[in-house]
Amino acid sequence: MPEKKVNFSYRIAHFFTYHPWLKIIALVLAIVVWFYVKEEINRFN
Amino acid sequence: MNITNILLILPIWKPIVEIAILWFVIYHMMLFFEGTRAIQVLRGIVIIMVAFFLFQILDLQILNWLLTKLFAISVIAVLVIFHPEIRHGLARLGQRHLFSAVLREEELDYILKEAGKAAENLSKDKIGALIAIEKNDSLAAYIESGAFIDARVSADLIQAIFTPNNPLHDGGLVIQQGRVMAAGCLFPITQNPDLSRIFGTRHRAALGLSEETDAVVIIVSEERQDMSLVYRGKLYKDIGREEMISKIKEFMKLKE
Repeated sequence: MPEKKVNFSYRIAHFFTYHPWLKIIALVLAIVVWFYVKEEINRFN
Repeated sequence: MNITNILLILPIWKPIVEIAILWFVIYHMMLFFEGTRAIQVLRGIVIIMVAFFLFQILDLQILNWLLTKLFAISVIAVLVIFHPEIRHGLARLGQRHLFSAVLREEELDYILKEAGKAAENLSKDKIGALIAIEKNDSLAAYIESGAFIDARVSADLIQAIFTPNNPLHDGGLVIQQGRVMAAGCLFPITQNPDLSRIFGTRHRAALGLSEETDAVVIIVSEERQDMSLVYRGKLYKDIGREEMISKIKEFMKLKE
């Protein structure tokens, strides 16, 4: 459906203002999961 | 030296790419669960995962062992607890329009002007209404549950549909691709236990639809004579016509 063309600055602003906490939590979780999996792989190798 | 050689030399790019992909997937999963009852369970899982990581760093073996065993069981538990969300998620994957036609801004302005006018008139006349405007996720499945109309959007038509004793006044009206596609449609009822008891079936149906799709839903309450808006499981209560139109434009513009 309708999607107005948005410029680059709007996209950047939207990235930081749309669910910022969710993005931070997701990043922390991604780092935790990555280190956990890395350690598990190292343990089996 | 080309870009491939540079990437091969730098050992750091792989973890960055892997973490970035993980971040993207986890963020979209959380975005999907946001506004549903599953977010409470998800919060619990996040706390357990962070605790597990801390126990590993601090080398607390007993707690670490307990959580490892808990993880094994939790895979089945997650499948059972998130069963409705997994089902909705898979259904939504298939609902996405791959080549959706983009409405011009003037068309959207016209639709919102007419829908806003109809909603305001209906609220003044103490008549309830439920209007869903399709965004990216297809509402075809809900259109099938009602009576097919396929007419140009107009305030008079919307008001006529919701007039009491009209065979189509019960249920929701769907606006798809800038046209009134169907009326008398059945929307899923939200299971959100936090929703106040003052909200009836109409509000619950609007919330249910917004939890399963990215549609914007307008609700006119016959008891309170007010207009509300629902998007992504969030209710915007008692808003005026102008505010409603600007909010819908904002939601329609959002790229997710």
